[in-house]
Amino acid sequence: MNIQEYISSGIIESYVLGLASAEERIEFEQMCAQYPELVEARNNFELAVEAQARRNASFPPADLKEKIWAAIKETDSSNTPKIITMEPTTRRSSGWGWVAAASIILFLVAGYFAFTYYNQTKELKNSNDELRARVDRTDSVLNKMAEEQKIMSDPNVTVVNMVGTQKGSPSSANIYWDSTSANVYLIVKNMPKLPSDKQYQLWSIINGQNGQLQPNSLGLFDIGEDQKVILKMSNVKKADAFAITIENRGNTGGPNLQQLQSMGKAKL
Amino acid sequence: MSPYTKYSEQELVSLLLRQDGQAFSYLYDNYSSALFGVINQIVSDREIATDVLQDVFINIWRKIGSYDDTKGRLFTWMLNIARNAAIDKIRSRPYQDSLKNQPLTENVNSTAANRVVNPQVNDIGLKKVINKLKEEYRVLIDMSYFQGFTHEEISKMLNLPLGTVKTRIRSALMQLRTMIS
Repeated sequence: MNIQEYISSGIIESYVLGLASAEERIEFEQMCAQYPELVEARNNFELAVEAQARRNASFPPADLKEKIWAAIKETDSSNTPKIITMEPTTRRSSGWGWVAAASIILFLVAGYFAFTYYNQTKELKNSNDELRARVDRTDSVLNKMAEEQKIMSDPNVTVVNMVGTQKGSPSSANIYWDSTSANVYLIVKNMPKLPSDKQYQLWSIINGQNGQLQPNSLGLFDIGEDQKVILKMSNVKKADAFAITIENRGNTGGPNLQQLQSMGKAKL
Repeated sequence: MSPYTKYSEQELVSLLLRQDGQAFSYLYDNYSSALFGVINQIVSDREIATDVLQDVFINIWRKIGSYDDTKGRLFTWMLNIARNAAIDKIRSRPYQDSLKNQPLTENVNSTAANRVVNPQVNDIGLKKVINKLKEEYRVLIDMSYFQGFTHEEISKMLNLPLGTVKTRIRSALMQLRTMIS
């Protein structure tokens, strides 16, 4: 059977309306992976079905939306773990000698179990702590990546590539500058660690009317252990270029241009 | 959410996967009436249809992770959840028991056959379109789509060869397509 015959065999309609058998569904999905025209025909029919359903829409009671949402919230919150208590079973027995012997054995056995459980618990606790720490680290990395991704994909954001100006220390970073909100984010790609009395400082630079450069501090920052960092800097509405210098920790004065590390032009 | 926000299906799905409350709100506003219309065609009692719609939305919310966009559009997926839920409802014991004027029989086939012979007056939506099909097609679509019988079951109930049931349903669907496209 050629693909056109297959398309017009009624299989698309059976599949979309949920009337196809399991075998037919599997075959159809395999065919879809091979033939884009089949997917297109399926899509067209799906759109027609949706339009048909919308033409015949019927409004449910007005309070239903709230009711459903409440039901969803309720089941979500009831998914908390349950506590199961173990009821010990007690049994009476006669004969004190037997009781004495049993209690000694029990004592020894209990001691043995207590000891093994104690060790196991300790081990479990350690590995649990370790896992939790690992999850926390992964989470923070993930959050950073997600944030980075969000900024990078925003169409209003201008990317300024900061290139190193010093020989031998190829400092590089990217500035993501949202021209509508004036937010500035700095993503460090490669910046060497500094001695503890020094900090990096980001500047926005405006070309003044008389040809003078007007720097404006967007904040000081440190480079931590974790090299790929995203920093939210002060907002700026207007900038012709950005620059990064090395300054004394807590610098409040102007930029030390001798220590210019990297620079990038804002093309707007 | 501003009333003008419009999500693509893809955006909506990814927000639902993150259990976003606004996405639920949008999902409900945008699809509840179309799905309710579909359910109403199978479950004629409005109150019961409302219960079905509630279950459908809860299911959509829970199962969104199993939606696969390579297999079809979001609406199609939801439509099939709604149709299946509605059919499950009309086949459930409490619903069958509640049907008045229709004596409960152990033989589900004869009940269904009754309903085919005396189809409920429900001239809206897809049913309206189906009523334009010729009789032999109309019965088959009603039984398979609105009552959820398999081809094998229909073949037994109507005493028709399985192959005939299959080809007739296919032809009926093809006609249906030209009617709604």
